[in-house]
Amino acid sequence: MTLTTLTRDQLLAKSGVLLVVDQIQPPSGPVAKGGVPVLKPRELGLFIAVNDDGQVYGFNGHVDLGTGIRTSLAQIVAEELDLALEQVCMVLGDTDSAPNQGATIASATIQITAIPLRNAAAEARRFLLDLAARRLGVEPQSLVMDSGVITSADARQLTFAELVAGERHVLGISGDAPLKPVEDYRLVGKASARVDIPAKASGELTYVHDMRLPDMLHGRVIRPPYAGLDSGEFVGTSLLHVDESSIAHIPGIVKVVVIGDFIGVVAKREEQAVKAAQALKVSWKAWTQKLPDMDDVAQAIRDNPRVRRVVLDKGNVQQALDQASERMPRTYLWPYQIHGSIGPSCGLADYQEHQIRVWSGTQNPHLLRADLAWLLEYPEERIEIIRMEAAGCYGRNCADDVCADALLLSRAVGLPVRVQLTREQEHVWEPKGSAQLMEVDGGINADGGVAGYDFQTSYPSNGAPTLALLLTGRVEPVAAMFEMGDRTSIPPYDFEHLRVTINDMAPIVRASWMRGVSALPNTFAHESYIDELAFAAKVDPVEYRLRYLHDERAAELVRATAARAGWVARTEPMQTPEQDNILRGRGFAYARYIHSKFPGFGAAWAAWVADVAVDRLSGEVSVTRVVIGHDAGMMVNPAGVRHQIHGNVIQATSRVLKERVTFEESTVSSKEWGAYPILTFKQVPKIDVLMMPRQHEPPMGAGESAGVPSAAAIANAIYDATGIRFRELPITPERVLAALKLSQDEAAAGADPQPVKGKRSKWWFAPLIAGIGALAGMAATALPWRAEIAPITPPVAGTWSAATLERGRLLAAVGDCAVCHTAPGGVTNAGGLAMQTPFGTLHSTNITPDPETGIGKWSYTAFERAMREGISRDGKHLYPAFPYTSFRNIDDADMQALYAYLMSQAPVSQPATSNAMQFPFNLRPLMAGWNAIFLRSGEVKAQPQRSAQWNRGSYLVNGLGHCAACHSPRNLMGAQKGGSAFLAGGMVDGWEAPALNGLSKAPTPWTEDQLFSYLSTGYTDAHGVAAGPMGPVVTELAKLPDSDRRAMAVYLASLSGDALAQPEPGPAAPQVSTLALSNGQRVFEGACQGCHADGLGPKLFGVSPSLASNSNLHSALPDNLLKVILQGIPVPATADLGYMPGFKDSLSNRQISELTAYLRQRFAPSEPAWQSLEQKVAQIRANPGSH
Amino acid sequence: MSDHTLAPVRTVTLHVNGQPVVVSAMADTPLLLILRNDLQLNGPKYGCGLGECGACTVIIDGVAARTCVFPLSGAEGRTITTLEGLGSRAQPHLVQQAFIDEQAAQCGYCMNGMIMTAKALLDRIPHPSEAQVRNELSANLCRCGTHLEIIRAVMLAARQMP
Repeated sequence: MTLTTLTRDQLLAKSGVLLVVDQIQPPSGPVAKGGVPVLKPRELGLFIAVNDDGQVYGFNGHVDLGTGIRTSLAQIVAEELDLALEQVCMVLGDTDSAPNQGATIASATIQITAIPLRNAAAEARRFLLDLAARRLGVEPQSLVMDSGVITSADARQLTFAELVAGERHVLGISGDAPLKPVEDYRLVGKASARVDIPAKASGELTYVHDMRLPDMLHGRVIRPPYAGLDSGEFVGTSLLHVDESSIAHIPGIVKVVVIGDFIGVVAKREEQAVKAAQALKVSWKAWTQKLPDMDDVAQAIRDNPRVRRVVLDKGNVQQALDQASERMPRTYLWPYQIHGSIGPSCGLADYQEHQIRVWSGTQNPHLLRADLAWLLEYPEERIEIIRMEAAGCYGRNCADDVCADALLLSRAVGLPVRVQLTREQEHVWEPKGSAQLMEVDGGINADGGVAGYDFQTSYPSNGAPTLALLLTGRVEPVAAMFEMGDRTSIPPYDFEHLRVTINDMAPIVRASWMRGVSALPNTFAHESYIDELAFAAKVDPVEYRLRYLHDERAAELVRATAARAGWVARTEPMQTPEQDNILRGRGFAYARYIHSKFPGFGAAWAAWVADVAVDRLSGEVSVTRVVIGHDAGMMVNPAGVRHQIHGNVIQATSRVLKERVTFEESTVSSKEWGAYPILTFKQVPKIDVLMMPRQHEPPMGAGESAGVPSAAAIANAIYDATGIRFRELPITPERVLAALKLSQDEAAAGADPQPVKGKRSKWWFAPLIAGIGALAGMAATALPWRAEIAPITPPVAGTWSAATLERGRLLAAVGDCAVCHTAPGGVTNAGGLAMQTPFGTLHSTNITPDPETGIGKWSYTAFERAMREGISRDGKHLYPAFPYTSFRNIDDADMQALYAYLMSQAPVSQPATSNAMQFPFNLRPLMAGWNAIFLRSGEVKAQPQRSAQWNRGSYLVNGLGHCAACHSPRNLMGAQKGGSAFLAGGMVDGWEAPALNGLSKAPTPWTEDQLFSYLSTGYTDAHGVAAGPMGPVVTELAKLPDSDRRAMAVYLASLSGDALAQPEPGPAAPQVSTLALSNGQRVFEGACQGCHADGLGPKLFGVSPSLASNSNLHSALPDNLLKVILQGIPVPATADLGYMPGFKDSLSNRQISELTAYLRQRFAPSEPAWQSLEQKVAQIRANPGSH
Repeated sequence: MSDHTLAPVRTVTLHVNGQPVVVSAMADTPLLLILRNDLQLNGPKYGCGLGECGACTVIIDGVAARTCVFPLSGAEGRTITTLEGLGSRAQPHLVQQAFIDEQAAQCGYCMNGMIMTAKALLDRIPHPSEAQVRNELSANLCRCGTHLEIIRAVMLAARQMP
């Protein structure tokens, strides 16, 4: 699909070609309210080229967004020239080849921009026939054209290639070349396979994302904190400082580019650019302009400055309404939504002094070219936009933004740069499909007729200037007001008294056109309202519509669609009996999408009959079937039209039931598919398509029309099912539940009490400071400094036997030495791992035998003293993060083997990182006092009455395994508690280490086999996956013989102590609001359920842990769950477990807290709700620890 | 682990589409970037980086895997099949052919994930029910609304499975 043909100018200059051209007026871009379109001079547009290799090219300025126009346009050309489809190559949107026909919007390609193409093809046909006739000496009428060959009655033949060889013919479009009669069509009107799918299905180069150039570099951009806002004086002026030294450690960085608020990094490899974009330290000004309360979008729109524009005022609305027998004012609200292209935008730019080339997935290549010329102050004619396919876009996504980004970066480095936006950037920054407020005043007369209809609509959106223009300050960040809220603002019904007012307004957040531009919301109001009128008048809603629908073609469609669906007249809702708590209903809606500059023109007609099932208990709405009637006039490719209808029905259903952009702290907070879920395979309705046979009528745009009646049809069906009108989208379960409750007059009093603030202290070590005085007092009584043990020369290789070394290797594994003594990405055992402890940050030491920075000068005596007493060779006290209290239980033979192993490693020179301990813990001598109190002498005593296996397990768990170091609670001074608290659970590095002393009695009891599996693989289906500090522990344990892990399992399973007393819950367990749970459920379904589907999802690499049995969900503390959600599991305990991504950059604190509350309620319903979750998330986010 | 600490560079041997390949990159580099940039494969697509949408799916050791959250270090020695490894335009795999026959793409950006997930399903369950197909694809997102054609494509492929 990439351009393999010549440019327009090259074709115009070559010989052996027939060209059909026309002088065209390039359309202006959308114009701000009150502005005057700036028209470019007319220019030569090329539409058809017949080359001397026999290939025929068609050129169109629009692009294929996945709608299949590449195929339909090829059908049109092939039809007029009697070619096979594959003989035509369509060139779409490339600025150096294709005519400037403006942006690909309003579903207008087939309806409008294909007309000159078809005429050009007819022109070429006439010319080729005339030329052949002259050469063959016959009349043109006697010739037959087929597949690029012209044949005379006496069977002489000339091919297209022969006809054009050696000459250059340039024809204008006269408009009088005869078009092929519809009756003779062979291709147009027949289902045609899409020409682009085979390449896409086999991974050939098609998408801009896959374009690669020699010497291409990779760029990433860093966006400002005012996420999703593009107007206000802070835009382009908020950057304070970029600290390039913060990424100095990342290899491959080529350049950091800063212009105004635009920041980009360029690197040799993509992952280097990714890391740099994440690590780059940037300071921004706080911006003062705040969004209004976006939880109340209707009010935000009401408060937005407006200019009223009455586009229709017929009869006397005011008087008619004053006289109505029933006045029915209604308000309808459409939420902010995203286009949600499944591939975040990508662009590739190659800046050279005399030419710029940009590979782009833009929806409007010619407008993008003008923007880029403006951005760089560079001659527009020397910029070429090469349009490649991209992920579907339904209006305006970030495709233009990213090309400007790539070009700025390419200019800075003088090489081609590819920029890929992240999912989060695409979600947050794409111009939103705007929220819209529709306010209707109307009513009925005593005879049930419509008294009057006074409609006003408010649409805060514009064209969303390309972001780099704003960020660099090239364009003033002043929000322009567009006149685009008027699409389909006039209802299709012939009401006697009718007024339509558009409140034109500038955007509140960055917004632009999205599929069904303002018409989808306007129709939601029109078609919901007429449904209300019909029921108020006690007339069947289909019949009621037909009374006022005077477009006969529309009426025919309405009748045909109702008949297809088996519509049964109704004048009351709720006539279908409830079954198993399911309420069923059916709704109708009709619309013809009227678009483009007011009064605009119509695309296809569409009518819906939607069937819904409403779960009375959960509030969940399923659209079970949609019967859709569709009249698109002549369908060039009926298969393509059907496909568009399916797509529109599904996408629109998704928008109606699920989609709403959320905002937090004056920015967009929907950053991925959990916070902004869309319809999935399980929720897709059955669709029955009725395509009206109108092949003799002109073609009508079919890319958007089918979705326009969606919202009202579904809302009307829900009314039929429940008797409740929903006038605000999306129709989510919590809204349905709330409305059902209300309608059943179950007063909501007390149902949503104020959450009770948590009483539990935030950190178990918080009272530490109180203990300082006591600790200091005791320290004075102990030996604050111990003697140095003389250094030795490191032992030479061969000092120990292979058997001893192997024994030591296994012991090091049990002891997890490397877990703590290896920094991320560092050399094994060379130290440097930062450990957050309640007393400050510790860094593990180098335990390779390097004489200067490691333990190379340590004698066995020094090593043993350190292991058993926590005294360094030089006499300094070690902090008890080093678990010498456990290690003192190691027997001598094992201690010697361990020493032998460690001293035989390759020495690594790596100096220690200094610790950052808080007073008084920064005073190492004080640890002497600590030892005096807490270091109990003595070893683990063998218990002869127990089995050898049990004793082995006890030795491993309590000695070298030092399980108690994490799994026993520590007292105020950081010492493990003994007695009944031994192995009764603790906290380490912000992780909860669960109690091990009563595992068989835990809420989800552990068996010996489960323990064995967990210690061996890091996973058991009954409890979940080892994460955090336990992950590397299992990695090490996996090196042990099965018999040792089995022994540990036997020992641990035998412990029957009481689990650590759970922290006291607050006096009243807090209620979690329905909204929060519902939000949490949405995040779960969009972000988590793929892997945690309990057998009802895909089989993906690794384990798919059930959350129902996950120990962390049943714990009194949410810490482990929150840590895993934030940080993921990037390094699993064993390789086959699979990976979990962290969501810290994608979900907000509120979203994570809602998700967590939902998980708790769903998977551990018998446990009290966790408290103060949002604060807890913030706290853990701020203290990520080292695991 | 601190956010901005770099993982060490690893040299890793992978088996991709029947060929052993050796690549060097930071150990935590998503396999997706290795396949796309080092091996110049177009099939797996970047969609979300969070394993939510499925556009990046390949088959690793016989199971569908999301390469945007699969680090290079985890791929050592594993057998990886991408869309390109199934078949070519000239000789498509039967699942690819079924997607072509049923026109199961609008923009087609999600199609790689759909085909690879379906292939892994059919290897495991050659004749699934439609409900099983919907379940298996339930975490593969399509924004254009091609779901019905995709389901038909997978069912068509299933009918042709031996």
